[in-house]
Amino acid sequence: MNPAMTPATDRAAGSARLTGIAKRYGRARALDSIDLTLTPGVTGLLGPNGAGKTTLLRILATALAADEGQVRVFEHDPATAAGRVQIRRNLGYLPQEAGFPRGFTTFGFVDYLAILKEWTHRDSRHAEVRRVLDEVDLGDLATKRVHSLSGGQRRRVLVAQALLGHPQLLVLDEPTTGLDPAQRARLRDILSTAAQTATLVLSTHQTEDVAALCERVIVLDAGRIHFDGSVAELVTSAAGRVWLAPERHLMAQHAWRTGSGMWRNVGDPPPDVELAEPTLEDAYLLLVGNHALDAQMEAVS
Amino acid sequence: MTTNGEAWHADDQALRGLVQGTTGPVAAASLEAHLMRCETCRAQLNTLALDDSLERTWLLVRATVESPEPTGVERLLQACGMSEETGRLLAAVPAMRGAWLLGVAVVMAFAGLAAAFSGNLGIGLFLLMAPLAPVMGVAAAFGGDADPAQEIVVTAPYSAGRLLLLRATAVLLTSAPIAMLVGLALPGPGWLTIAWLTPAAAGIGLTLALAPLTGLTNAAASIGVVWSTLTLSATRAHDPLVVVDSIGQLTCLTLVVIAAIAIVSKSRILELPRRQKQ
Repeated sequence: MNPAMTPATDRAAGSARLTGIAKRYGRARALDSIDLTLTPGVTGLLGPNGAGKTTLLRILATALAADEGQVRVFEHDPATAAGRVQIRRNLGYLPQEAGFPRGFTTFGFVDYLAILKEWTHRDSRHAEVRRVLDEVDLGDLATKRVHSLSGGQRRRVLVAQALLGHPQLLVLDEPTTGLDPAQRARLRDILSTAAQTATLVLSTHQTEDVAALCERVIVLDAGRIHFDGSVAELVTSAAGRVWLAPERHLMAQHAWRTGSGMWRNVGDPPPDVELAEPTLEDAYLLLVGNHALDAQMEAVS
Repeated sequence: MTTNGEAWHADDQALRGLVQGTTGPVAAASLEAHLMRCETCRAQLNTLALDDSLERTWLLVRATVESPEPTGVERLLQACGMSEETGRLLAAVPAMRGAWLLGVAVVMAFAGLAAAFSGNLGIGLFLLMAPLAPVMGVAAAFGGDADPAQEIVVTAPYSAGRLLLLRATAVLLTSAPIAMLVGLALPGPGWLTIAWLTPAAAGIGLTLALAPLTGLTNAAASIGVVWSTLTLSATRAHDPLVVVDSIGQLTCLTLVVIAAIAIVSKSRILELPRRQKQ
């Protein structure tokens, strides 16, 4: 059986629920009390390094088991072997880091993973491999050795394998890393098309990708969810807290000199300043900065 | 079909169905009768037939050009009766590459030569190497470090247990004949040829059972250190065969059973998750 033949009832469920999820690595807390429901559409995960984004995505992708809490994907329980198989039949996963076996061509590598995804019929499997390689504009490089491809091309090979079989849950860990602007725009097109019928969750450090692609954004920091809402809501939270000035302001949490020569200050503005339209990046910096400040205050008190 | 006043024209979908032979007999007869009278539809049919033929030819060319050429190992496995798919699953790991097999052959040949010329020391070396070769082979065949795409592989629906058994069996089948051939040439007792198989099975089982705790490579290395210590100590005591005598065999069989129970009782062991950063 291949993923395209998965019963329609499994596909209709189309969502994942995480309740009270916790994960530790030794004494380090990676995730703490995560409650989350994912529905069809694109959800973006933002957060600083070490926030727990990759751990959360690995749990969703059944690559890692949570220490505490309950996970349900398409109503299946990944704690059971049968549940994991059912989830994996509807899953496309792009890990943060993945290598390639030596000697494989681009086509051969995706074909190898298609075999593991239960595409047993050779002709239909090869047709599917061609389809996903064409999707990421790698059809012309199908016969090239993967190790001879550039970093961006290799990333697209990994995206291609995640698209095999039109999965109903796409879990993508930093899919745009190493891609040039044109490739990123193309990938946004591919992902937005896939998300019309699937639940897509991606992590990224690129706030512009989230702004361009995601209906919903979740900000993780220190293993906890600090924001869960629409991109517009997050941007609105920064309204009145971004201003332009001829110099860096002392009250700014973040400031940088723009191409026009003016300084963009983000924080609590002094009176009578020229306020600027906030971006998602401004809002994200304020949110993460505030929590860092709160944590410091808690530590002091 | 579309109509235009008194005239109607077949739409592209209907014509394409006729070209591809997927239209039912009644609809096909009706379409053919219409085509006899309608020049517009005949022209459209010719265009579609040409497009379809070009498309099929192009797909055929791509299928021929892009289909991955099987590697030497894959060709060998297919010649032994394995399917193309199984061959590809095996070819992805280092233990199935020529360099690994050549390395095993060289190491075993060295141990055999040493045994032939050095008596107890050589037999000790053989007993050290023979069980460890398949243990290291399994580590190289299934370890998270061995398959660079392991993070994706573990999230595929293909049975992890089946993949493990497939690769472990392939490793045993490729390294065991070499060790047996070397064993036949040794000066010791005849049963020495197969006596190392039980320690090898115990080593593989323990490596897999310990892998979730320590990582596969570390588990295999630890087993290697313990086994090396045992065989070298026995060799220094001038009795290398003591590690594979009846007590040694019984101990190894017990370890095989314990490891099997540990693996079966916790099926997720087979997925061998690697320790990951956040």
